Amino acid sequence: MSRPAGPPPASGPLRRGHAGGLWLALQLVLSGSLLLLFVIPLVALFTYAPLSSLVSAANNTQVRATLWLTFLSSGIAVLAAVVFGIPLGYLLARRAFRGRAIVESFVALPVVVPHLLVGLGLFLALAIPGSPLYRLTTALGLPVYDTIWGVVLVMVFVSAPYTVLASELSFRAVDGRVLEAARSLGAGSATAFLTVTFPLALRGIVAGLVLSWARAVSEIGGLLVLAYVVYPGGAYTGPPTSTVSVFIYELFQLGDLKDAAAVSSLFLLIAFALFVAVRLGERSGWLPWRRGELAP
Amino acid sequence: MTHWAVEGLETDLDHFHLGPVDLTLAPGTAVAVLGASGAGKTTLLRTLAGFLPRRGGRILRDGKDISELPPEGRALGYVPQGLGLFPHRTVAGNVRYPLELRSWDDPGPRVRALLERFHLAPLADRYPARLSGGEQQRVALARALAADPGLIVWDEPWQALDVLARYELGLALHELREVERVPIVVVTHDPALAFSIADSFLVLDHGRVREQCDAATLLRAPSDPFVARFVGYENVYAPADLAPGAPGSLRAWLLGRSGPEGVAVGRPLLGPAADAPAWEGTVRRVRPGPEGLAVDVIADDLLVTLRVAPPVTPPFPALGARIRVGIDPAAVLPLGPAPRPEAVR
Repeated sequence: MSRPAGPPPASGPLRRGHAGGLWLALQLVLSGSLLLLFVIPLVALFTYAPLSSLVSAANNTQVRATLWLTFLSSGIAVLAAVVFGIPLGYLLARRAFRGRAIVESFVALPVVVPHLLVGLGLFLALAIPGSPLYRLTTALGLPVYDTIWGVVLVMVFVSAPYTVLASELSFRAVDGRVLEAARSLGAGSATAFLTVTFPLALRGIVAGLVLSWARAVSEIGGLLVLAYVVYPGGAYTGPPTSTVSVFIYELFQLGDLKDAAAVSSLFLLIAFALFVAVRLGERSGWLPWRRGELAP
Repeated sequence: MTHWAVEGLETDLDHFHLGPVDLTLAPGTAVAVLGASGAGKTTLLRTLAGFLPRRGGRILRDGKDISELPPEGRALGYVPQGLGLFPHRTVAGNVRYPLELRSWDDPGPRVRALLERFHLAPLADRYPARLSGGEQQRVALARALAADPGLIVWDEPWQALDVLARYELGLALHELREVERVPIVVVTHDPALAFSIADSFLVLDHGRVREQCDAATLLRAPSDPFVARFVGYENVYAPADLAPGAPGSLRAWLLGRSGPEGVAVGRPLLGPAADAPAWEGTVRRVRPGPEGLAVDVIADDLLVTLRVAPPVTPPFPALGARIRVGIDPAAVLPLGPAPRPEAVR
């Protein structure tokens, strides 16, 4: 157990105050520099794109299509993270089994592997005509190359680990004795899960889902290979377009900096609004989160 | 009213073996399970509650074997260490939980009655994290009773409670036992409260039943150093503490009176005693307190604590002073399963 380094021993209150002030200043400078780095690009984007350009971007059919595609596909990816990621997190939290370390490594893999590589791998496995998985996905009506399903697949790959890891940690944090009390009071294992384990883990799981969603909407690497342009089909019925990241990248490549900044700013505003909405929801206590443990 | 019986119960947990344990729990009886850390107390309770697989033996409820039933089918109110309150439910929500599981049509009146009974009504809408230790214990008890259990199994009910809260909880458990005749099994480290509610004691040592007896026997003839300390002996020595001692030394003298598990010494005397053998020692520490003066003396490499009853008036023995420690042979109690003479403390 180590404590953060404090001021050096000083002889009088004046000296101690002086050292304390220096220490505080150092902390402020260091953390402030990092915060500044976070803020600078945002300020640049909004400075470069006047409000009028945001409004015209919002009214542009192409921009609307790309935003719709991005939020739709990331929404489906988050749904997939809920359906497949939470059970995997629960499994990892509650069951001891052989090969567990390997499973955990695979869960962490998408976080550490360059995403262009992920796109290439998925392309080779699913998009080359004649390959078994190509035939399977096509037969199921879920072709992935340049379709929304490809977008969703890449997004799930890169974003689901955050839900799995957050669920695992949250389930693990639920006190086993609370569960035992529930069982002894008459709850079967499924009921105890639904009434105790899940509500107690929900706060952490939702945090993981928010991270997953953020990761999904910002994805570009894998999409450059597997779904650069998305044609209508499946869940997406709009005009051919790209996800926001690819769309902005293309505008930048064409040298259209004004439009790139406008679309980026618009996207940031919407994403920020959604993020704030989730946070407000969390604070209002409309979900059965650990209200009892929240600060008064 | 339910009769419970445990017959030859055994369980294995990693490298730990518990049992065989036999217990009879008639309506209105209470058993305190004692033992040092790692003796198997919690393991026994969790096995009773159905959370650990049993290797042998049976658990009978009114003569019916329930050993194969899952925890939720045992009709047994298990309160784990730390109470296991639901942090995401209010006090009323916690108490209502077992009634919701049983799909009660209108749980309100029953919940209100339980809250009133345990003085929790003003706290009904609070979350457990905002309650004191004593209030949390009362919620745990009210919630356990809401399920209408045939047996209360409670791990360390008095952990981290102040004196008043202990007293109130002791009263509540006593009432439960006396009025509702619900049998109780408690694990506790607290002698005063164990004696206040339990009428029999089960002493575990490394997973084996060391002793099973009533309060009088436990007080009169403790079976091992742990029990001896539990019932209030301050000077307790295992055989390993006593050997080897030179002839005529305190250690040799005590070893000659030791049982297989050691020896407990009641009321050693300060200063030379008229008819008691005495040894010289050095004062190590002097502790005045409401129960009189405690003087720790090192005599023949043994720590002996002497008690001087109040009122105690200075001057106290000085640190490092040489004083005589007298021991009444009648107050020396051999520990162990062998037949033991009666001793006076």
